[in-house]
Amino acid sequence: MGRFLLSRVVTALGSMLGVACLVFLLIHLVPGDPVDVMLGESARPADRQALRVSLGLDQPIETQLVNYFSGLAQFDLGQSLHSKRPVSELLAERIPATLELAIAALFVALLIAVPLGILAAVERGKAWDWGAMGFSMLGVSIPNFWLGPMLILCFSLWLGLTPVSGRGGFSNLILPAVTLGTGFAAILARMVRSSLLEVLGEDFVRTARAKGVAELQVIWRHAMRNAWLPVITLLGLQLGALLGGAVVTEVVFDWPGIGSLMIESIQKRDYPVVQGCVLFISLMYVLVNTLTDLVYGLVDPRIRLDGSI
Amino acid sequence: MPRGGLLTALLLSCLLIGGCQEQETEVIRMGLANAPLNLDPRFATDATSERVNRLLYQRLVEFDPNSMPKPGIANWQAITPVHYRFTLNDQAGVFGNGEKLNARDVVTTYRQVLDPALGSPKQASLELIASMEVIDEQRVDFHLKRPDPLFPAYLTLDILPAEQIERAHDFAREPVGSGAFDLIAWPQTGELHLQRRSDGQVFQLIAVNNPTVRALKLLRNEIDLLQNDLSPELIGYLRRQPALRVEQQPGSNYSYIGFNLQDPLTGELEVRQAIAHAIDRQAIIRWVMQGAARQAESLFPPEHWASYQLTSHEYNPEKARKLLAELGYSDSKPLRLTYKTSSDPFRIRLATVIQSQLKAVGIEIDLRSYDWGTFFGDIKQGNFQLYSLSWVGIRTPDIYRDIFASDALPPSGANRGRYVSNTVDQLLNRAEQTDKLSTQAELYHQIAAELHRDLPYIPLWYEDQLSAQGSRISGYQLMSDGNYDGLAEVKLKRALDGDHVQSTTAN
Repeated sequence: MGRFLLSRVVTALGSMLGVACLVFLLIHLVPGDPVDVMLGESARPADRQALRVSLGLDQPIETQLVNYFSGLAQFDLGQSLHSKRPVSELLAERIPATLELAIAALFVALLIAVPLGILAAVERGKAWDWGAMGFSMLGVSIPNFWLGPMLILCFSLWLGLTPVSGRGGFSNLILPAVTLGTGFAAILARMVRSSLLEVLGEDFVRTARAKGVAELQVIWRHAMRNAWLPVITLLGLQLGALLGGAVVTEVVFDWPGIGSLMIESIQKRDYPVVQGCVLFISLMYVLVNTLTDLVYGLVDPRIRLDGSI
Repeated sequence: MPRGGLLTALLLSCLLIGGCQEQETEVIRMGLANAPLNLDPRFATDATSERVNRLLYQRLVEFDPNSMPKPGIANWQAITPVHYRFTLNDQAGVFGNGEKLNARDVVTTYRQVLDPALGSPKQASLELIASMEVIDEQRVDFHLKRPDPLFPAYLTLDILPAEQIERAHDFAREPVGSGAFDLIAWPQTGELHLQRRSDGQVFQLIAVNNPTVRALKLLRNEIDLLQNDLSPELIGYLRRQPALRVEQQPGSNYSYIGFNLQDPLTGELEVRQAIAHAIDRQAIIRWVMQGAARQAESLFPPEHWASYQLTSHEYNPEKARKLLAELGYSDSKPLRLTYKTSSDPFRIRLATVIQSQLKAVGIEIDLRSYDWGTFFGDIKQGNFQLYSLSWVGIRTPDIYRDIFASDALPPSGANRGRYVSNTVDQLLNRAEQTDKLSTQAELYHQIAAELHRDLPYIPLWYEDQLSAQGSRISGYQLMSDGNYDGLAEVKLKRALDGDHVQSTTAN
């Protein structure tokens, strides 16, 4: 276990360093100058130059890269070019919102997908199966930029049940979580169905049924337990994506998460903030993948983290 | 819990929470398209920060409806053409730290911005200042490097308290101003709480990027006021809502089509003239912008003191076709040009309409839209044939030098079209050297006429300022440059019984 975690930390540090370097170079290659974006068309050249010097953008790119990494070595992510606030402060402001939305969306997805997937697998080829998979297809096909406003229109404007947008109490979380969770639920439901269908054909399920175990118990305790592994893999990937920020949903619901911060920063060419966001996202992927590996061992005791089965 | 029970519980909790949301508060909430980024006036460059700073701080000089400088917190006297004396008047307020704004605050603020070590982006606009001195508590003398009758118009910096400047106070997050409002909380990036000094009324400025969501929040009474950054369809929709009031006022932001004069095609005057005659600006204003703009003929709107009455390049597709035919273009050999614009959906739609109008006279347009950084980078580098943009918040005609002088080609200036004219250069030099405003105005009129003839820009329109207000408030006045000064007067409407909010009908 210790060796596993150590190897994960080393791999994670290497990947994050690579990502940081790549993002630094790519964002500087993208056309567009942060000073132009900040000052607009009306600014005078001398003002532009003064700002460029004060932001350190007049230095060669290799000097900027060295400065960035020396700051990173001291856990200093730098300062936003626009707001002059430390990037770590901006991230800390957005991370709780991102976590809140990601967890809520995952909860919604599980709440919809697991019963739906099980129902579709158990009632394979029947109306329930067609209905569940039809819903799943619909969920995957409806884009969040359409579903979000429709939910707002229905639940906020017509029924007056939830606020339109913004982050606040529980009621603010419902619509963004449903919007984001529905798409994931659709994918997850299909995975639960196919995984469960595979397991339901196994000998141990037939044996359990032959022994007279109640059908509900056969499905939940015997079959589902063995069907969880691929579902967990997918959940891990989805959670990673969610923690990386759900840009469209965040924009529609004005949710102050990492995704919208990154988009705003890319548009403004706010290099340090973009780099900080990407580092956070890669860290989240590494953490979630490690966590997924750990959960494998818990769900299936045959899997050991030293690689043996 | 069975699934039905869970759903019922969720629905009930929504109802409860939703019900709580409906409660009216004493706060006035304004929806902003963007969050302010930096409330330190020495560094703030985004429009929202500048507008919020106007509420928090005071300035020596303001502008009248004709864009002529008028006293803000100081009156001035030109002792000589290069020596101005500013005397603080009774408008000068008290800073949030309890100190009365005085001459030392003025000089310290200006010296700070002029200090190259600070790296303020507002330094260059004040380079005319040679030195400053505090005469007494109320008076400051400015000595200039050369005469400029427009000098007072450049003194628009928000004044900071000297004591806090010397202590390197963090104005960006904790502004200390003497304006009509105080910042009382900034709980998250997109939400500011301000308090009006005159009556203690609290305001929340809430950033909601998506215009549709912003409009829906207004309909749902989650915000009370919106200003600009709404598509014509949304404005039309809000106008039809009986509980809302939509107001419109002429604006001064100038939209134009710019040409690359070094390009072999758009460098031809006849091509530019053909394009000018092929665009039906009135139709676009009427049908696409739903009347929310005025047709423009020059950089400054008619009410500006430096504006000049010019004959319109009238919509005349026949004339456009004739000009193109003289250059050898026809339906079988159309003129092909590339038109660049930003990725803003409304700008793309306008560009599409222009593309279709130009097609009608035989000009094939390859329309390309980019995110702002890429688009602006291309424009600066001269990597375009024609593009559309707007000039926002222009007050003084010295802008002509920055955008049309032959020595103002990027990166030294904003002459992105690479326009070179000896006549305009000479007129600009003469305008700068004169110390009489009337002579300067006459020279700027001649410059406007030259530009009208040479067409480095096709003037399009001045977009109107628009606001939509909920039924809880009244008295908000729109400003022509889109600032939020109207918040100083806006009031919560109260019914006679004290607690219920009146509902009003839309106009």
